[in-house]
Amino acid sequence: MATPISSTPTATSSFSKRERRQSMAERRPSTSYTPAVIPHLAGLETPQEMSPLKLEECDVVIIGTGLSQSILAAALAWQGTQVLHIDNNHYYGDSSSCLTIDQLKKWCVDVNQGKFNHFKDAQIYIPGGKRSNKYTSRDYGIDLTPKIMFCQSDLLSLLIQSRVYRYLEFQSLANFHVFENDDFKQKITNSTSKHDIFTDKTLSLITKRNLMKFLKFILIEEEHVRRALVKQYSNRPIHEFLTQEFKLEESQINELVYSIGLCNKQETTTKEAVIRIRRFLSSFDCYGKFPCMTSKFGGPGEISQGFCRSAAVAGTTYKLSTTMTDFDPVSKTAHFSDGSNIKVNEKIIISPTQIPKFLVPSYQKLTESLPSYYITRLITVVKRDCKEWMDPPQSASAAIVVFPPHSLPTDNESAVQVIIQNGDSGVCPEGQSIWYSHTCEQDLARAKRDLECAFEKMEMALLRGTPGTIPDVLDDIDLFSAGTTPMADSFKLGSSLANFMPKEKVEIVCKVGYVQQTYINPDLSNVFKANPNNSITCKKVPTGVDDEDMIIFGNMPSSELSYDGIITNVKQIYARVTGTDDDFFDVDFEDDDEEMQDHQQPQQPQVNQSGQVLGGIVGGGRMDEDAIDEDVIEDDSDDDHKPFGVDQMEL
Amino acid sequence: MSAPATSRFAQFKLVLLGESAVGKSSIVHRFVKNTFDELRESTIGAAFLTQTITIPETDTTIKFEIWDTAGQERYKSLAPMYYRNANAALCVYDITSRVSFNRAQDWIKELRKQAPEGIVIALVGNKSDLSDNREVELSEVEEYVEQYNSEATGGGSTIIIAECSAKTGDGVLEVFNRIGRALPVEEAINAAGGRARQAGGRRAGGVDLNRPRAQAQQGGSCC
Repeated sequence: MATPISSTPTATSSFSKRERRQSMAERRPSTSYTPAVIPHLAGLETPQEMSPLKLEECDVVIIGTGLSQSILAAALAWQGTQVLHIDNNHYYGDSSSCLTIDQLKKWCVDVNQGKFNHFKDAQIYIPGGKRSNKYTSRDYGIDLTPKIMFCQSDLLSLLIQSRVYRYLEFQSLANFHVFENDDFKQKITNSTSKHDIFTDKTLSLITKRNLMKFLKFILIEEEHVRRALVKQYSNRPIHEFLTQEFKLEESQINELVYSIGLCNKQETTTKEAVIRIRRFLSSFDCYGKFPCMTSKFGGPGEISQGFCRSAAVAGTTYKLSTTMTDFDPVSKTAHFSDGSNIKVNEKIIISPTQIPKFLVPSYQKLTESLPSYYITRLITVVKRDCKEWMDPPQSASAAIVVFPPHSLPTDNESAVQVIIQNGDSGVCPEGQSIWYSHTCEQDLARAKRDLECAFEKMEMALLRGTPGTIPDVLDDIDLFSAGTTPMADSFKLGSSLANFMPKEKVEIVCKVGYVQQTYINPDLSNVFKANPNNSITCKKVPTGVDDEDMIIFGNMPSSELSYDGIITNVKQIYARVTGTDDDFFDVDFEDDDEEMQDHQQPQQPQVNQSGQVLGGIVGGGRMDEDAIDEDVIEDDSDDDHKPFGVDQMEL
Repeated sequence: MSAPATSRFAQFKLVLLGESAVGKSSIVHRFVKNTFDELRESTIGAAFLTQTITIPETDTTIKFEIWDTAGQERYKSLAPMYYRNANAALCVYDITSRVSFNRAQDWIKELRKQAPEGIVIALVGNKSDLSDNREVELSEVEEYVEQYNSEATGGGSTIIIAECSAKTGDGVLEVFNRIGRALPVEEAINAAGGRARQAGGRRAGGVDLNRPRAQAQQGGSCC
């Protein structure tokens, strides 16, 4: 079993722990007007001169303002590292940008001209052009790599701990639909308690009992019992485990594995799937009756901006539209496109889409041996609010739709996962929605067919709900239970029917497709068990100077729908820069006096005694057999809030 | 805890803009620090500074959530997040520097592109204590603003003009009081829907990360 790299300094680390620099708080005593515990806010208090870049030296240069580089910048800055953070685009976010439609048009052109390494085959379709299809570009914020946040996750803990959450707004996400037999189902995921499952008349008594047995096993079973049973199946597909041990049927399995677990493949191992299912269930009821959240106005693109601001407050220098043109490893001098140069004391961390020309050959050489994975995305902005997928419609602004393997007429081998966000989440105007779909299918022609097919199914679902196709008698529920059409299971049609126009195509504002490449395995195994053989961030980049280890290449975003794996990856790089990740964001903001009196103290639920942030399928080595249960069990063994009413479960 | 002395409460986001070294931060720190003993100073860690003022005529307490540029304006690297939902902008120039006044006008142009409609803009000349070295006359500023207002189409925001000295404190509080009076207090209170002490504009479905359910339940057990 591999040791998680995040907890041990790497062999190539240039510091020993003893030699570490002092933390920011130690190096910069606070000024008189702030309480002693708040570090000197360099960015706030000492504005520097205007451009061109007038810094003479810095400790670390970070190239690219994507989510992981932004978190890294903030973590290093608060630790006391002098960071210069640049991006060759004129906007923040890099591969995780949140773009307007006009920016997206330009981005597609740039992708097809090969400007962004690891992106290709970009297409954008705007029906009627701007004249007949009136839209205001800046009303849209379209994420290049959209993600959802589990309520029990390391990133959320970090957002709270770092206070970056104060720049953001979060909205609940509780609607998970799974497509099966040409129908969108939502049996388990819309159950907020045992009671709901038991009152669902479409489930047989035996099914209910088996389902409850499984939920109990996941949530409250003794750790050693669960571990022992999972171990028996370990690398065998989750389907085997669920059918043999819990006698669950295809329908429940699909929902557990693909909707709740967000797994991609039929072959997903029991070990991985159990972790993923548990992630959902233990995230439930942390902040309310929902397991996930989305951030308003944009996902990773918005969160990156928040961390960049935090980094700036701690003294990081920001310069967009700038590239590094050369680096001399002997004098450690970096040259930039604005003609300035700077001495870099420690490290240069580079996004894979912004590799400076002089480093392209070594990047290619280092990545040669790494297996790469494609993620194909199709993003559609539709002129519908898609409330049909959202419950309660008045407050929900997002939903997940999953097409399990082999559920589409294209006989898809990988799941198609879709995030729907409507105007209430600030990413597009009211009355419209963005459908973010993606698949990990490696045959790109197939991937595109699968995505198009999933889009058609969703479009049809909306159109099938038109008044012309349903009976005249509009009872509140069980509209289609007689079998006229199998639509009504998850669609709350009663109140929103009036909005439907019969026999109309779903109108589109914009449709974008592209292919992204990453070296992160979709199961995140080479993030949680990263080593120089399987992870680009652990590889030493030759600079031509003996034993000089100054350059670190970052990772492209993974295909994972949640933010899992990102913090683990950032900590690996952080440890490579500072020698350890022990003090990763170890900043004590003893402020908020007023807020704390008004509200309760902000929660830091996943900080365990050693200060390590845990949650989700995260915390280095969580993918290990031993780690499956430990942390997760600890997380809620003493909780008052048992999701799904597990405290009342009787079998 | 210090309950607001007034019965109405509204919170607004105010952003700072202007060339580096014109004293944006100093004005805010004067505003926040000067009143340290009378009112509570609150520094929200890495996030932003806050300060509260009272408007007696309307019986309203206004809390400013003040976003400093944190140096990100230096290389024109302010993120869209900075402007988002800003209710007011303090656009600062240095009365002893014509260049800084020209830059302030650029920032106002930028605000029209990036900031929400109806944002209250205060164009403030700092360093009024150095009027011997004055390069920017108040009359020119008035002329510029008149020009701006005539060009602004469709309910464009009007600009408040003021001069102050962060060094002596002259005029600083007055700037914020004038901004406070220009802000749409009624709208904010209505939008907050009676949820006092909640930032205006938060919509239904939003999650308050200060209120995890687990803690709420534990808290309930003490009754």
